[in-house]
Amino acid sequence: METTMTDRLRSALGIVHWRNVPLMIVLLIGAGLMIMPFLWMVAASFRPIGESYRLPPSVFPDNLDLAAYREALSSGVPFLTMYWNSFVIAAATTIGTLVTSALAAFAFSRLEFRSREFLFIFMLLGLMVPPALVLIPLYFGYARIGLLDTHVGLALPAMASSFGVFMMRQFMLNLPKALEEAALLDGANYRQIFWTITLPQLGPALATLGIITFITSWNNFVSPFVLITSWDKMTLPVGIVALQGVMGSARLSVIMAAATMSILPLLLVFLVAQRFIVESITMSGVKG
Amino acid sequence: MTASVPQKDDAPAPLEKVQARAAFWFLLPAYSLYVLFVLLPALATIVFTFLYLDRYTWTAEFVGFDNILYVLADGRFWTSFRNTFYFVFLAAIGNVGLGLVFAAVLDRALPKAMLYILRLAFFLPVLVSTALVSLVWQFIYSSDLGVLNYYITSIGLPRIGWLSDERVAMISVVIMDVWKHFGFFMIILLAALQSIPREITEAAEMDGSGPLATFFFIKIPMIAPVILFCVTYATIGGLQMFESVRILTSGGPGDATTSMVMYMYEQAFSSQDIGAGSAAALVLLITIVIVTLVQLKLGTRAVDQ
Repeated sequence: METTMTDRLRSALGIVHWRNVPLMIVLLIGAGLMIMPFLWMVAASFRPIGESYRLPPSVFPDNLDLAAYREALSSGVPFLTMYWNSFVIAAATTIGTLVTSALAAFAFSRLEFRSREFLFIFMLLGLMVPPALVLIPLYFGYARIGLLDTHVGLALPAMASSFGVFMMRQFMLNLPKALEEAALLDGANYRQIFWTITLPQLGPALATLGIITFITSWNNFVSPFVLITSWDKMTLPVGIVALQGVMGSARLSVIMAAATMSILPLLLVFLVAQRFIVESITMSGVKG
Repeated sequence: MTASVPQKDDAPAPLEKVQARAAFWFLLPAYSLYVLFVLLPALATIVFTFLYLDRYTWTAEFVGFDNILYVLADGRFWTSFRNTFYFVFLAAIGNVGLGLVFAAVLDRALPKAMLYILRLAFFLPVLVSTALVSLVWQFIYSSDLGVLNYYITSIGLPRIGWLSDERVAMISVVIMDVWKHFGFFMIILLAALQSIPREITEAAEMDGSGPLATFFFIKIPMIAPVILFCVTYATIGGLQMFESVRILTSGGPGDATTSMVMYMYEQAFSSQDIGAGSAAALVLLITIVIVTLVQLKLGTRAVDQ
């Protein structure tokens, strides 16, 4: 126990054991190597468009030429619209997932009804369905009912989250029920109980599931790649790949400028809420 | 007071009935999304496998196992199958192996600021979309003007066709994948290592076990279930790889990096052959189920020992 305390004390005070110094240097070099690709990306984005590929490559921007950014924003490719699309779809997907998951989890954890276990297990089957398996019928079905190339068609399947229901149910099972039972005796109905008593206690679970859902949607490539066809409806990841197709490899700076801009919001949030995001994303490992 | 008491005179519905009715409404949104956008499409894929579908007239003809046999007789399918397994094998070892090494190294008292920087550097790639980092890595791997070859040739080594040499291309895809994902496994494995009670490792050390021996003979067996989970997770993800190869190599050179999902995509959307695409998707699903079951079976046996 004693070593634990001193270790903790040391860590809290920021004191480094001399034995760990060489190791820390190696780790910092490793960390540097890990972020190199991002540094090259940013450095290339600040180069004049004609010199994107000039060697030697620079790790830090050697000049602050903004031409690539201007072109990324003003080319025929509606970059800002794609930004907005990504945001709207991620936000809608997140809200939809949170609401539907919380509602379903309430039924699975608070209500008694016939075949409850069966319906729950049956929903968990969704964890095993690889996204690629549903794309073909979605595409051809959408083409038939007019949902192809729409944001609604992209967001709805993303809201169907077996994982979300599973996670929220686990969380609710650990919440005390006394208050809800008291409210029930006082004549409250389940709708009132859910909104006024249960939902306000779900904060941490909603935040975790929200982060996972938002980032998954923001980064999603395969479904928008298949289901969206017109430029002004595309999301960022697909849009940038399409932008590369238009620009050709010679105009690398423009692609890197677009990539830098699309990573920026994620990076800012990550810098502020690092611990929480890391914990949330690794939570989603339960998904496997 | 009387208002808040359930009305008795109105012949109240029994509690079970009330609960069942409430459950219906609470489940309705999630379940309809699930049925419409996951379950039915998944079933449709299985049904499509046995049909010939004309995508313009939407007439269907039952063709039995023709689509599956077509896919299984297609040399390109087996190339994509081999490529995918080659990728999964290397990427799973790389991701979980490197994740474990770094988890072991980080499992000690380090200053808070240091941990912040390390978590930032190792987890940022996990957070960013694969499509984006693939574009950046395409630039890094570029043969004549790429960053990597610049440094390699500047120390006198020959240029490597990272994405253009068919023996190297898949390795390049694996390197990027490990760079992108091992931080995820590192965090999971680190949490597992830190959950080992101190008493156990301290007892071992008092008995004269060195740090390496403690790690291999005490800690690794204790976190074996977590390692197994990581391998399975990496495998399931790897079997579905698509966007990294789609962007980095488009499956090339030749078919050296074509993956199973890519093959499925080409059949269904490029060739517009719904039946063959569905058959490929079904084979992918069956492969995932079999590989997962085999791993769990082998794994639980190994863990039990």
